[in-house]
Amino acid sequence: MSDSTDTAPLLSNVQVDGVWHQFPKGTRVIEACEKAGSYVPRYCYHKKLSSPGNCRMCLIEMGFPRLGPDRKPELGADGKPIINWMPRPQISCAQDVAEGMAVRTNSPLVKECQRGVMEFLLINHPLDCPICDQAGECRLQEFSVDYGDSKSRFLENKVKKPKNVVLGPRVTLDDERCILCSRCIRFCQEIAHDDVLGFVDRGSYTVLTAHPGKRLENNYSLNTVDICPVGALTSTDFRFKMRVWFLKETKSICTSCATGCNTIIGTREDVIYRQTPRENDHVNSCWMCDYGRLNFYYLQSDQRLLEPQIRSEGKLVPTDWPSAIAQAALQLKQFSGPEIGIIASGRMTNEELWLTSQLAKSLGVQWIDIVPRREPGDDILLSEDRNPNTNGARLILGSTSEPGAKLMAIADAVKSGQVKALVILKENTMHLGIPVEQLAQLPAFIMVNILSNEATEKATVVLPACGFAEKRGSMINGRGRLQRLNRGVRPPGNARDDWEILRDLLQAVGGGDSLLSIDDVFRRISETVPQFAGLTLSKIGDLGVHILQMEELPPMHPSDEEKIEQAVAIQTTRRAIRQQLHDAPKAAAVGTH
Amino acid sequence: MDAAIGLYPQDHRRSAAMPLLHLWQEHFGFISDEAVLWIAEKLGLQPINILELVTFYPMFRQQPAGKTHIRVCCTLSCAMAGSFELMENLCADLGIQHQSDGEGIHNPIAVSADGNYSVEFVECLASCGTAPVCMIGEQLYEKVSPESAADILLNPQSAIRNPQFHSPHPLEHRLTFKNIGRADWTTDIDCYLHDGGYEQLKQGLTMSRSDIVNKVKNSGLRGRGGAGFSCGLKWSFIKPDEKRPVYLICNADESEPGTFKDRYIVHYDPHQLLEGILISCYALNAHTAYIYVRGEFPVGAKILERAIEEARAHNFVGKNILGSRFDTEIYVHRGAGAYICGEETGLIESLEGKRGYPRIKPPYFPAVLGLYMCPTIVNNVETLCHVKHIIAMGGAEYARLGRPNNTGTRIVCVSGDVQRPGYFEIEVGAVTMGQLIYEMAGGLRPGRKLKAVIPGGSSAKVLRADERFKLKRRQTDGSTVEREISIDEILMDFDSLTAAGSMAGSGGVIVLDDSRDMVWVLNNINEFYAHESCGQCTPCREGSLWMKKITDRMLRGGGVVEDPETLKTIGDNIAGRTICAFGEACAWPTQSFVEKFSEEFAARAQKPVPPPLPPEYTPEELIERDEISIAPLAHDPGWEKAGTAGTI
Ligand SMILES: Cc1cc2nc3c(=O)[nH]c(=O)nc-3n(C[C@H](O)[C@H](O)[C@H](O)COP(=O)(O)O)c2cc1C
Ligand code: SF4
Ligand code: SF4
Ligand code: SF4
Ligand code: FES
Ligand code: FES
Repeated sequence: MSDSTDTAPLLSNVQVDGVWHQFPKGTRVIEACEKAGSYVPRYCYHKKLSSPGNCRMCLIEMGFPRLGPDRKPELGADGKPIINWMPRPQISCAQDVAEGMAVRTNSPLVKECQRGVMEFLLINHPLDCPICDQAGECRLQEFSVDYGDSKSRFLENKVKKPKNVVLGPRVTLDDERCILCSRCIRFCQEIAHDDVLGFVDRGSYTVLTAHPGKRLENNYSLNTVDICPVGALTSTDFRFKMRVWFLKETKSICTSCATGCNTIIGTREDVIYRQTPRENDHVNSCWMCDYGRLNFYYLQSDQRLLEPQIRSEGKLVPTDWPSAIAQAALQLKQFSGPEIGIIASGRMTNEELWLTSQLAKSLGVQWIDIVPRREPGDDILLSEDRNPNTNGARLILGSTSEPGAKLMAIADAVKSGQVKALVILKENTMHLGIPVEQLAQLPAFIMVNILSNEATEKATVVLPACGFAEKRGSMINGRGRLQRLNRGVRPPGNARDDWEILRDLLQAVGGGDSLLSIDDVFRRISETVPQFAGLTLSKIGDLGVHILQMEELPPMHPSDEEKIEQAVAIQTTRRAIRQQLHDAPKAAAVGTH
Repeated sequence: MDAAIGLYPQDHRRSAAMPLLHLWQEHFGFISDEAVLWIAEKLGLQPINILELVTFYPMFRQQPAGKTHIRVCCTLSCAMAGSFELMENLCADLGIQHQSDGEGIHNPIAVSADGNYSVEFVECLASCGTAPVCMIGEQLYEKVSPESAADILLNPQSAIRNPQFHSPHPLEHRLTFKNIGRADWTTDIDCYLHDGGYEQLKQGLTMSRSDIVNKVKNSGLRGRGGAGFSCGLKWSFIKPDEKRPVYLICNADESEPGTFKDRYIVHYDPHQLLEGILISCYALNAHTAYIYVRGEFPVGAKILERAIEEARAHNFVGKNILGSRFDTEIYVHRGAGAYICGEETGLIESLEGKRGYPRIKPPYFPAVLGLYMCPTIVNNVETLCHVKHIIAMGGAEYARLGRPNNTGTRIVCVSGDVQRPGYFEIEVGAVTMGQLIYEMAGGLRPGRKLKAVIPGGSSAKVLRADERFKLKRRQTDGSTVEREISIDEILMDFDSLTAAGSMAGSGGVIVLDDSRDMVWVLNNINEFYAHESCGQCTPCREGSLWMKKITDRMLRGGGVVEDPETLKTIGDNIAGRTICAFGEACAWPTQSFVEKFSEEFAARAQKPVPPPLPPEYTPEELIERDEISIAPLAHDPGWEKAGTAGTI
């Protein structure tokens, strides 16, 4: 083999609309075209799913260099290979690029094909756009403007199909809008491993449905709504609530488990309307679970704590922030370190945890830990660890034991009266088994929280804080990836960003110097915690950085039939790794640093 | 039931779904909800997987039929011979209201008040030469004139089914049909052995595999299923050192309207087919062969199963065949009324227990990624029978039959407006269209003139009787000359019919005389394709029904001026842009009819504006009127536990 062919297998030369490009072997033609700046419209193709090639929207012209008698490409007058174009258009979503391949994405034939497919898709499509949720992000609407005709030649009755079909608790289907692309079916089979959707009947009467006895109710069902290219599948939750073009989008992460799926928070005027997954192959591919997606309503709850409050003559009375902080500091300073307990949370950001650790240090507190949160996970995304930042707590709180291990000891210390001052950060003390009467007896019971609960009434100082969508900060997910939260909405009432509360408290107890912004806090962490060295909040970027040496799971892979075996293998590995992590969570999680 | 499951590889039990559905329906009369759940459970599938099948395959019904179920063919040849009147008469005699199957394909079954009888229109039953036909229970009744409806009902047993055979015409060359219609012929293996049967299998087993493949290559045999692809070339795609199992599938789904040849082989000469399959299996090193026989051949399936057992008893099937140390099993798999399962990849999906959705090629070329993602060869019944004769004659000798590149014999099926419809085995290209129609098929009925011919199954482009065809002929010195010929002079072979702008297809020749209304004919064809489109890909799914709706409206007097042009462009937008060749199959008739009979279409399309449509309602109104179903809410306590609001 000559030197030149040594590298050849990795890249293919492909001509897209007359210009030659190089693409790695294995690139789908449709992706290659997009990279070359020629977007090919598509409905059924989804890069993380298998390719059935059924919508025919991605037809392009394809050709290969004409080979001379010596099996070498014949060159034209311009010195470039002469292309033999195939007489028929080809779909671009199911083939990988090949050496010498040439494609045309905007020739008259291609445009004619696109116009034809658009016309076919629209003839039986209801004219629902004004009342359709998908309007504004509908591929049918977009492409019919870009590739279709304005006038309908269809003079017949449209095929009638079921409307408002409740496919499951969270997903509603309008079959007349469905273009039968099968994306949702493939998602359920290939990603959610819950084969509940299917087509019944035949031809133009084909209808998407679930068996009446087994509905679409898996924890990933709302992803089908995301990938449905039209408004056929809608989120029962989001339906008719808001036109999507009014929504402001904020890139953030889900904080409902240790996976930390990347998200987009859709908001308008400080109200969250929905969360949708944001692609990140290191974390969640293109998906997120329904539980995490819908777990934001508590931020709009009427249980929200809106004002700082101080106990005065047995009752909680609203006050201003400086007085509340001063009061909290005053109460804490009356006790020695061993008399104080701090219960922090695995839902706090790294910045908040660091400030908490500083607070503990300056008060000399030993009794500090987070509340562990373990529930059944799955093989897909949902982690058993429902705390989004256990790894952050492990690194930053500087404890030698596993996060959560000391919790019960702290509770016992409260019960035995050894601990007299308790600081609760974003957790509910009710789960700790400390009798309410006893909490009520505590001379200092400082609570930083979002919602009120039974224990709130017993607090001596209540400091209303922010939820995940109301603040910035960083967390480390279960696989050791440092990721960023961003603020989508402002907190209600007088609630304040947690890091500011903690900073002020820290300064008030006399332990802090000037920390003007959350970036300053992060800088401090990067100076003291080796895994953060060299990083800043902005350097984390939208997709995060890997900072803990843990076995990173292979990304959720497209389960393409051509690569079925590969996909199965990946699946198996993933399961095996999860099992390992499950069996030896500590060993694997602590890492080598 | 467990026996049925045992016919498929352990890790592909899903394949048994259709056999189980058949068994259930035979026993209980229809597929109940319970059946769906039970079968899904039995095979470790989800209920939706079974529901998808029940609603895809028209033969499975979700409501009970009558004690006697009558299926009347409504496709072109039968419709021309009066099957619609037959249906009317049957309904009148039985007191059944058969609502005309307007829109929607579902539940066209109509049951008599006493539950004794039910009737149903079905698509071509592959007996177009003896039109009109119907099936009563599992039995086919041929040449059932509309007037005889009462007779067959009164006395189904005495109206004995009379297979319609005819002795060979002098222009015929019988090879595969040698024994069809012989008075002394039975399907018993002894009869076949007595005739020299299985000698070629014995001979083949002594030859090397490549030897057989080469013989088939040299014979020039082209597939008889429709595409006319070189059989030897197809076989050579299988690597001799292939590690994965190789499968051979015999395509006995014969359902292209106008085609009725495989039916005769399956029903009257099953051992010839088995011998062809066994030789082919040996040549391809395939240890498993499936015969995918269309669901409407229940008797044929039983005959094949019996033949396989007979062959096993003689050690032609099974382990160590005739001491050759070669093993092969042959299984019969029944379809259930879906035309698209004749398309080879649709067939493979169906055999895997799924909806018969054709696969995209690339990457799913059957020879590479076929059944169970293993290399697979799909061949037509007739093609496989020829293999036996190629072994008998030798490849080169066989290639002398017919014309270069169009070798051997093939069965041409003539139906429609001729006096003696039926099958004729000819040397390919040795007979002209004129000879076929006027000499062999007895010409048109008295006083009638030829109007058009559909030469290769209803999907082939129509040829007009007064058309002139410019055909290039290669001279012996290599030069080509162009000759203009009439329809009568077209040679009945692959290349000539292609040159005439149509195709030899499946060999089904449908003759239309001057009494036929071409819009009516096209509408019947469109009805077939709209009904049979699998619905997977956009152009065919939407276009086939659209074309049918237009021709339907034209027939009812509502044709508008733009209709012919619209029809043509719909066809243009389908052909060449679909997953499978069904796209062409459904577009070609429309394209060619509208182009070649433009005056008839224009005459039917004179309205300036379309007739008003029945009123459209908003979805909400329709829901109110109960015309649209709203599925009930499923309750899901599990999820609510996992994460309702406020889990904080
Ligand atoms: C829509 C469609 C229907 C078909 N139906 C049949 C059929 O009923 N029987 C058949 O043998 N081939 C049928 N074919 C052809 C098969 O796809 C395939 O080419 C054939 O079985 C190969 O066998 P051969 O090479 O022996 O002809 C059909 C093809 C298409 C596109
Ligand atoms: S519901 Fe949406 S995703 Fe599912 S098949 Fe229909 S159009 Fe495609
Ligand atoms: S898997 Fe975890 S991080 Fe992802 S959406 Fe669900 S709860 Fe949120
Ligand atoms: S062309 Fe028609 S029959 Fe073939 S896959 Fe597409 S929809 Fe199905
Ligand atoms: S994107 Fe649907 S066929 Fe390619
Ligand atoms: S059997 Fe009726 S048309 Fe073929």
